[in-house]
Amino acid sequence: MPTRGYRALVTASSPPPAANPPVRRRRRPGPTGGVGFVVDSVLMAWRWLRRMRTALYMLAALGFLTLVATFVPQEPNVSSTVAEWRSGEAGPGVPVARVLDAVGAFDVYGSGLFVALLLLMYLSLTACLIPRIRAWFRLVRLSRPPVIRRPSEANLTATFATAASPEVVHATADDVLTRRRWRRRRHTGDGRTPAQLAAEKGLVSREGGSLLFHVSFYVLLAAIIVGQLTTFEGQRGVVEGEPGFSDSAVSYWLYQPGRWFDESDHDRWQFELDEFHVDWVRDPLAPGAGQPTEFRSEVTITPPDGEPYAAEIDSNAPLRIGGKRITQLDWGYAPRVVVEVDGEVVHDGFIQPTVTDGGFFRGAVKAPAADPDVGLEVFFYPYAPYDESGRPVPTGAPWDEAPMLLFRQHRGDLQLGATQQTVNELDTTELESEGGAYLRPGQSVTVGDVEVSFPELRRWVGYQVSSRPAIPALLAGAGLLVGGLIPALYASRRRLWVLTERDEGLGSTLVTVTGRAFQRPEAFAEEHAAVTAELADAVEATATDPPPDRPGDHSGAHHRAGDREVLRP
Amino acid sequence: MTQDQLAELSRFLYSPTTLLLYLTAAFVYLYALTTTVGRQEERERGRRARRIGGVLAVLGVTAHVAHELARGFAQDRLPLGNMFEVTSLMALVGVVSGLYVLQFVRRRPELNGFVLLGGSLVLGMAMLMYAEPGPLMPILDTWWRPFHVSLLVAAMGIFAAAFVFNGLYLLRDTAERAVAASHEGRSRGSTVGAAHLGDLERTGPSTDGDDDEVERAHAAAYREALRAGIPRVKLAVGVFLGTSLVSWVWLVTDDTVAGGVGRFLAVNLTMVAAALLAAWFTPFLPSTATLDGLAHRTITFAFVLWTVGVIAGAMWAEVSWGRFWGWDPKETGSFLTWVAYAGYLHARATHGVRGRNAAWIGIGAFIVLMGTYLIANYVVVGLHSYAEL
Repeated sequence: MPTRGYRALVTASSPPPAANPPVRRRRRPGPTGGVGFVVDSVLMAWRWLRRMRTALYMLAALGFLTLVATFVPQEPNVSSTVAEWRSGEAGPGVPVARVLDAVGAFDVYGSGLFVALLLLMYLSLTACLIPRIRAWFRLVRLSRPPVIRRPSEANLTATFATAASPEVVHATADDVLTRRRWRRRRHTGDGRTPAQLAAEKGLVSREGGSLLFHVSFYVLLAAIIVGQLTTFEGQRGVVEGEPGFSDSAVSYWLYQPGRWFDESDHDRWQFELDEFHVDWVRDPLAPGAGQPTEFRSEVTITPPDGEPYAAEIDSNAPLRIGGKRITQLDWGYAPRVVVEVDGEVVHDGFIQPTVTDGGFFRGAVKAPAADPDVGLEVFFYPYAPYDESGRPVPTGAPWDEAPMLLFRQHRGDLQLGATQQTVNELDTTELESEGGAYLRPGQSVTVGDVEVSFPELRRWVGYQVSSRPAIPALLAGAGLLVGGLIPALYASRRRLWVLTERDEGLGSTLVTVTGRAFQRPEAFAEEHAAVTAELADAVEATATDPPPDRPGDHSGAHHRAGDREVLRP
Repeated sequence: MTQDQLAELSRFLYSPTTLLLYLTAAFVYLYALTTTVGRQEERERGRRARRIGGVLAVLGVTAHVAHELARGFAQDRLPLGNMFEVTSLMALVGVVSGLYVLQFVRRRPELNGFVLLGGSLVLGMAMLMYAEPGPLMPILDTWWRPFHVSLLVAAMGIFAAAFVFNGLYLLRDTAERAVAASHEGRSRGSTVGAAHLGDLERTGPSTDGDDDEVERAHAAAYREALRAGIPRVKLAVGVFLGTSLVSWVWLVTDDTVAGGVGRFLAVNLTMVAAALLAAWFTPFLPSTATLDGLAHRTITFAFVLWTVGVIAGAMWAEVSWGRFWGWDPKETGSFLTWVAYAGYLHARATHGVRGRNAAWIGIGAFIVLMGTYLIANYVVVGLHSYAEL
């Protein structure tokens, strides 16, 4: 605890020696007792937050949480896998899953731990940045390059002699360094330090870049928070040629508006899918066999007060309408299934079976209008050609060259509303099967007293409509981040001095150009050589060290102060 | 030429041509490294060996570039669409940038062998994920892909080179510390200049006249001491376990148990062999400061590329998936890698952590990079999963 030690030194024991006056202002004694304890604790916490080591620990903690999120399935991404982990069908088992659930490992980025860490990181960042920004402004406004007595051993040094007077040399050096945008300080020389021009560069850009980089995290955070509040996301599936949907709150299946998103922000255009194009590499011997090659929607948009127009949505080319963007999320086959009982149509519509691992699609038809209810368990195979004996052979191929609809018919109670079931699931506990059959498009078949027909096959596409007004701010934050990162890592802080020593007897001035870079010494070696050469040219140097025939030779022998060989003309 | 013939050609150019050229060049360079401390005629042999190594390395790079071109033409697209292609290009970028920096910027051509060895390892690893040339998934077919992917691949290649430098730094540092410790133990004196065994050996009676011979004997003794300073068994076990942090992915994802164990052992034992080989070459390495500086520079450069690449990926995701960031496994992995290398850069700026600890963070960051790369492609399924396509 340096502060306490310092205070003890100043107040309790001897006063500091006069030659060494206290650099820091004396801290006023703070409150004592309970209040003092709180104040001290807060100060200590603040100081701990300001340490670089703390930042390292927090980065490590962030890394650890991210690592957890890499291994454990995340609910917002793959909720089905999480459900399997919870039920024990997959993963390490139910007890482990329960522990994971308790610590929020299934949704790391939504967990309180992550939010707390993020808060702590931003607090630590703020604690670091406030003094650094203050110091940086002081640096920009007040910093003057320091003067030196003699070139240090660590410096890169070159010397030359010239007939010009020290004043002229300094004025010329000032010009040269002004053009190169160095911060300069003229010093006329006194008993202890020689006449010199001191210069410094890069101290603003390196630290400034680092500050900009770190400040960009606030911009990013603000943009993300504002983005969460103003965003809108809606999802909706559409079957080819069927009525689509309109941009309004009620027509989305999944509707996620931000808190600041208002229903009046909807544009009320009408969306219809005319045709969905999808294709694959169908040749089983071709490279990349079975791989999809195209996903493209041809759509018609009708603005609320205007003519309908045609548009296209591609995988990487979403459709933009006003401030909204429409992207394709998923797709599937939509067979139309008509169910008749005793000549009466109880179901006529497109079903949207979900794809399974086996390459076929699985769905259900539920017709509560019949008495008793009719339920069909549906398996859809896009490519099931006949073999030699005339039997259909289901394959896993996804293209619809020989579509086949396989169903099992059930009668009884569908238990709609009584049990939890999705559109594509049939609860068969209260149902009894009367057999099944397969259908090609255009065919119909009667099982029991139920006639099922499969008049046509279309496709459906799931779309996402989103509006993100905060994206430009986010982009600006990313720009700041990169714009700060590059100078923070690549700008180098360096100092240069032009020292002169006049020999009236010889009528010449000995000029020493010496300098040091805090980072990237090789780049500085080149710069130093260039500045020296330019100055030597401008003041018509008569002898130089290093000699001008090897100006670029700074790879091996660095010319240190002291080894002056060619000095006097 | 038909596309099938081009595919055949690209395969041949990759393995065995490029792989063998890189490996041979690496060993020729490593041999040349051992001659730098020998007699005059030996140094001459070393110079010649280095020239041969240079020619082999250029031929290897040419074959590698030709492979990429042939593969590109065979499938009519940039070869950046699957794991094999990305890893192969990562090796190319790592080798070319590493050789360029060592040869022309840092002027340390004697280290080329290590870069080439690293490149051969990455090439070999790519063989484990070989996929035949083929078309792209439609979602990948956009100008965003070459932009985003090539930035990240370049960064990965350079991170790999930095990993080599960090590893060599740790080896050299361990050896020097061991020598210094043994010296301190024997002399019980100041540790200044402790890393030089020469003056220890010099206490014996001087052989008249042949100072050169004595000098060489001392240098050889120092080399032996450095080599002995590295605990081989610990190194081998450590590398095996460290590699396992990444290579378990093959163990759990291969179709057959035998295949998985085979790949796992192949990767681990290759890494162990490479580490033992590097340990033998430790005495010929440049100073720890040089190696540390090389690692820092390469990581700095790659970090900027990685940052821009991830931002480009987020922009592509915004266009293509309608969200810029969704903590998809690959996004999580790239973020984790970014955090790890940011940790390295911060460690370098922290008193008490720089040096060995920072180098360990650098090694850990590379494990994170390779681990998340393989996990996100093979183990966890997400939007980015097109590894086997």
